[in-house]
Amino acid sequence: MLKIDHMNTFIGRKRIIKDVSFQVLPGSIVGLIGPNGAGKTTIMKTILGLTKFTGNISVENQAVTENNHAALTRVGALIEHPAIYPFLSGLENLKLYSLDEDDMNHVVSLLRMNEYINRKSKGYSLGMKQKLGIAIALLNKPQLVILDEPMNGLDIEVTILVRKIIKQYAAQGTAFLISSHVLGELQKVMTNVLLITEGQIIVDKPIDEFNQVNHKHYKLLTDDMPATEQLLSDNRISIEKEDHYLVISRNDSYKIQDFLYKNHIRLVELTPKGMSFEQAIVSLVDQQRRQSHAE
Amino acid sequence: MTSSEMKAVNIMKTSLYQEFYKFSHKKITWVAPMLLLGYMALWIAYPMTRLMTMMTYDSSDAINLIVIIVGSTMFSMEFQNNTILTLIYKSSSKPTVYFNKFITIFVYDVLLHALSLAFTIVIALTIRPVAWMKVYRYNQPLIINMLSTTGIDVLTSVLIISLVFVISTMINSNAVVITASMAVVFFGEAISTDFMNLDSSLAYLFKWNPFNMTLLTLQYSNYPLYHETTLLTNLQISLGALAYMLTFLGVGYLIFRKKRF
Repeated sequence: MLKIDHMNTFIGRKRIIKDVSFQVLPGSIVGLIGPNGAGKTTIMKTILGLTKFTGNISVENQAVTENNHAALTRVGALIEHPAIYPFLSGLENLKLYSLDEDDMNHVVSLLRMNEYINRKSKGYSLGMKQKLGIAIALLNKPQLVILDEPMNGLDIEVTILVRKIIKQYAAQGTAFLISSHVLGELQKVMTNVLLITEGQIIVDKPIDEFNQVNHKHYKLLTDDMPATEQLLSDNRISIEKEDHYLVISRNDSYKIQDFLYKNHIRLVELTPKGMSFEQAIVSLVDQQRRQSHAE
Repeated sequence: MTSSEMKAVNIMKTSLYQEFYKFSHKKITWVAPMLLLGYMALWIAYPMTRLMTMMTYDSSDAINLIVIIVGSTMFSMEFQNNTILTLIYKSSSKPTVYFNKFITIFVYDVLLHALSLAFTIVIALTIRPVAWMKVYRYNQPLIINMLSTTGIDVLTSVLIISLVFVISTMINSNAVVITASMAVVFFGEAISTDFMNLDSSLAYLFKWNPFNMTLLTLQYSNYPLYHETTLLTNLQISLGALAYMLTFLGVGYLIFRKKRF
């Protein structure tokens, strides 16, 4: 689908994106994440042939260059802000790019925009504009959709709807490259993680590998920690102390809950120990920063 | 033609269609011709009927003003609405976007001239009759004078459009770009005229300034008066206008190509 090979992007003489290579396969949802200024939007703009670059970018084996966008015919994108002409209605904005009226009406229904789609878009709220921007990106049954912060300005209900639509399109083979600063949101849809800092990709792997992080231990908190500690020691259950918690093995968790119940000790918290997805990302970024400062 | 070339041509056609679609949905596109007709109607009572017919009721000034306003916003509208990125990646390339915009405003300019011609003919056939075939200026019949003036005015207005394109590729705000374009075109013309009338020793050089070329239509309709100012023949001004038009279009394109979005 999308193949990036040793891509370098320049702004003036400054190299912003440094030797980036990755692939986005059909049906995958790749989350492009990284701190502010890491180069996420620049990568997206470069893929769309909007900036000067070296290396190779191809969509369906057809090269994209700054002066040839023929490969982007079936690529939809929402970059930075929704591209909307205020003097046109929502429908007219869609008609501008649509090649298939049935598909256009389908997208309007999917995003539940029928009620206001014929109104001039200058009166739209931020969320309505964002939905229209996403609708433009989804027009013409795209093979690849590039979304930069797609959940900006969307309420919870619409966010869930958009997530559902993204998964639906991906199931039909559409590839997605999505950036978002709301990692929790992205985590719910993405199949692959692409972590970028200072213009370089430092992680490119499936989300499952992140989800498996260190969930072999649980953190335990009760309303009587000294009694709990004594109880578990008496029953030869291995424990470790960490701050106010006791760290236990996941395998012992059911047994421990049973002991607590029988000894009238109330369980306050029992959570998997280890880094959350967000913590893992922050830690990786910090690690990379320290490394590059040391160099 | 290979399939990728066919694809590129189709994309070009689509982006030209998109440009006309947007243009036809803007209010100013339809209001401006009404204003043009209103302005021309003000000149109907002017006594020099043949001169007015030749100059299509002074439509030149109004058309120039319209193309400055409409042309100025062609790029800034895209910058201001954040549509420029989508516009460029959906089109085959940056030059396509630039030249499609030029084609759109050029077609509009030609249509405005056609409208002014049609209005002049209607007036001549109804309330201010003229002898079309009677020799008027340049030993040519009035109808030829009128058609030539219109043709020449298309060249003048395209020169102005190209100048406006240079300015509008540099400035992102609608209001600022309209003001700047008007200031450059009208003040530029006024300053050039004042300087040329100073009888300066540098006039032989200064007569080739681009604003002197914008007097082409006026000089064609009143040669003795305006030649004293421009110090150029009609042919020299026409060639100068053409050269500057190509230069400005090229400069505008280079600025647009280098611009970061």
